[in-house]
Amino acid sequence: MGADDILADKSGYSLRVRVLNDQGLHARPAARLAQEAQKFACDVHLRHDEAEVDAKSILDILTMAAGHGSELELRAQGPGAVDALRHLGELFRNRFR
Amino acid sequence: MATLKGIPVSAGISIGRAFFLNRSGAGPLPRQTLPEALVGPEIARLERAFAQFGLEIEQARERIPAELREHTLIIDSHLMILKDPKLSGVAKRYIQTLGINAEWALDKAVADLEKAFEALDDPYFRDRIQDVRTVSGRVQARLAGQTAETRAIESRVVLMAHDVSPADTASLQTDKIMALVTVQGGKTSHTGILARTLGIPAVVGVTELEREVRDGDLVVVDGLRGVVVLSPAEDELARLSDLKYQFEAYQAGIMRGCHLPGETIDGYRLKVKANIEMLDEVATVVNNGGEGIGLYRTEYSYMNRVKLPTEEELYQEYLDLATIMSPRRVTLRTLDAGADKFVSTLGALDERNPALGLRAIRLCMHHPDIFKTQLRAILRASVAGNISVMFPMISGLREIRQAKAMLAEARAELRQEGLRFNAELPVGIMMELPSAVMIAEVLAREVDFFSIGTNDLIQYSLGIDRTNRYVSHMYQPLHPAVVRSIKHVVDAAHQAGIEVSLCGEMASDPFCVPILMGMQIDCISLTPQAIPGIKRIIRQATMDDCKNLLKLVLESPSVTRTNALVQETIFRQFPDELMFYSSLLDRDENPAH
Repeated sequence: MGADDILADKSGYSLRVRVLNDQGLHARPAARLAQEAQKFACDVHLRHDEAEVDAKSILDILTMAAGHGSELELRAQGPGAVDALRHLGELFRNRFR
Repeated sequence: MATLKGIPVSAGISIGRAFFLNRSGAGPLPRQTLPEALVGPEIARLERAFAQFGLEIEQARERIPAELREHTLIIDSHLMILKDPKLSGVAKRYIQTLGINAEWALDKAVADLEKAFEALDDPYFRDRIQDVRTVSGRVQARLAGQTAETRAIESRVVLMAHDVSPADTASLQTDKIMALVTVQGGKTSHTGILARTLGIPAVVGVTELEREVRDGDLVVVDGLRGVVVLSPAEDELARLSDLKYQFEAYQAGIMRGCHLPGETIDGYRLKVKANIEMLDEVATVVNNGGEGIGLYRTEYSYMNRVKLPTEEELYQEYLDLATIMSPRRVTLRTLDAGADKFVSTLGALDERNPALGLRAIRLCMHHPDIFKTQLRAILRASVAGNISVMFPMISGLREIRQAKAMLAEARAELRQEGLRFNAELPVGIMMELPSAVMIAEVLAREVDFFSIGTNDLIQYSLGIDRTNRYVSHMYQPLHPAVVRSIKHVVDAAHQAGIEVSLCGEMASDPFCVPILMGMQIDCISLTPQAIPGIKRIIRQATMDDCKNLLKLVLESPSVTRTNALVQETIFRQFPDELMFYSSLLDRDENPAH
C-alpha cells in the first residue's frame, strides 16, 4: 500500500484498510499491530464504524472485534505519521504474516 | 463415577492419571486502603510484578521447542497485554486515585475489561478476556510472592490446570501429556490450539475440575463430547476405550483412504477437488487427496496494492500452480471482486448495495483492460498443465458472449504476438444467480462446464445475507428452492453433455453430499482440510441410497421437514462418520491466518 492512498486532513493523516485475515483482527494480528504501532512516536488510532481506539493497545484493538472483511481507517498524527501509516497498511495487506 | 462437563476443543479420547500443573490462586485477594505515603511504593510493587512476569515470558519464549513454535505468537499477544496501558496503566491509576493495594487495583482493571469484552457479540473476541485473566492471574501470583515453577512429570499423564498460559508451554514435557483439561478457557482458547498441535484431546471450561479431581485420580478425557469422566466403572471404561480405538482407527482410516478415488460401493465416481486462493495451499490439497483444484480464487493478487498485477506476474502465478498440480485439472475463476472483496487500486465504490452492484464479471467488463490482462495470463499459462477458466456471477447469455468475445480478442492478440496458448482452453461459468439457474439449458449450450457456487446462490435465492445476524438463521442450504435449483442445473448440464461441479460450502457438509450424489453431480470442490472425511463418506455410500434420499428430499415441502429427514437418514447410514467427522472440523482459531 503506498503513499497514494494516504489522505491528509485537518487532524493528521488517514488510510483505509481492510481486514483480510479469515479470523479478523484476532489475538495474533492485534498483537503485531500494537507492537508495530508502538515503534512510532506519533499517535495512531484505528477507526471502525463509529468507534475509535488506540492502535498501540492490543486490548483496545481486540474489543473493537473487527472481523474478516471489516473496513477500518488508520489515523496518525504527529512525527512520522505517514511512515507509520505506510508501514501498518503493509501489515494489513500481508495479513500480518 | 461422576462426569464433569466442559467444552471440547480437541478431538480424541485419553484414559490416564490426573496431574495438576497449577491450581487457582490461594483464597481471596487481599483488599486494603493505603495511607498516602505507601501509594508510591505500592505502584512500584505493581510495576515490579509486571516486569517480573514480563521477563519470565520473554525467557519462556526462547525455550519453546521448535514443534510448538506457533505458540511464541500467542506468547507475543500475552506480552502485549502485559504491557498494555489499559491493564497496567489503569491498575496504577486505581492505586493512585483510590489509594488501594496493587492486588485490588489490578482486579478492578480486569473487571473493567471484562465489561468491555462481555459486550462483544463475536464469541472469539469475547473469549479473549481469558487471555487477560491468564496474564493478570500470573501477575497476581507474582504479587503474592510466587514464582514460575513446574513440577517434573514422571510418566504420561492427563494434564490439568486452572489455565495453561503460553508461557507454560515452554516448560511442558509435551511427550508426557496425553490430554489437557482446564478450568478456564473457551472454544478459541489457546489450550485447544496447543492440544491440536500435539494431537491430544482437550476439554476446557471445566469449572468443577479443581474441586472434584485430585492428583493421581483415574480419569477419561472425552474430547469428542467435551466431558471428563472420573473414576469410571468397569463397563464405562470398557465402552470408552472402545470408542477411543474406534476414533483413532477412523482418523487413521480417513487419512489412509484419502488418496483413493471418490467412488461409491456400487461404482459411481465423483471427483473431489479443492478450493484454494493461494499457491502455498497446494501441499495440503495433494496430501489430503485432492484430485485437482476445482476453484482457484484469483482475487488475492489484486487486493491491497498500489498497482495492478502485471500480466507477467499473473502468468507466473498461474503457470506455477498448473505445473505443480499437473496432470490434475486447475480451474481458475476470473477476478471476482466487488461486494466484500475490493481491488485496492479501484477503491471501494460508492454503492448502496454492493452485493447487487458492480462486481465479478460486471466489474471486469467495466474495466476491460484489467480483464484482458488476466485472460492473457491465463491463456499463456494454459500451455502447461491442465487449466480451465470460469467466469463468476453470470446472469444471462449476453455476459457469457461478452466474456467469450474478450477471450477471443486475447487469443487473437497472443497469436499475433507469436505467444503460445492452449486454443482448446475449456471455458465454464459459475452458476450462482437464480436467473442463470432458470435458463441453465440455454447457458449450457454456450460453455464447456458449470460450477455451482452455492454460497451465493443460497443468498440470492433466499434473499439472505448470511453475515447479518438477524437473518443468518434463514440461510438454509437444504431449502426446497435451493435443492430444486441445484437439481435443475445438474440436469440441464447433463442434457447438454457438459460437466457440472459444485464449489460452495455444501460440498464439505456430510448432510448435503449424499443428496448431491443422488443428483449424479460430476465433481465437488471443497476446503482441502475436509477432503479426507468427505471422501470416506462417498466411499461408504451406495448410489441407490443417495437416489432414495434425494427423492425424499425433493418431495419434502419444507426445509424443517427436510433437515429432520436428512439428519435421521445420514446418522443411520454413516453413524461413525458423523460422530467423528464433525468433531474434526475446525472449531478453530487458525493462528496461521
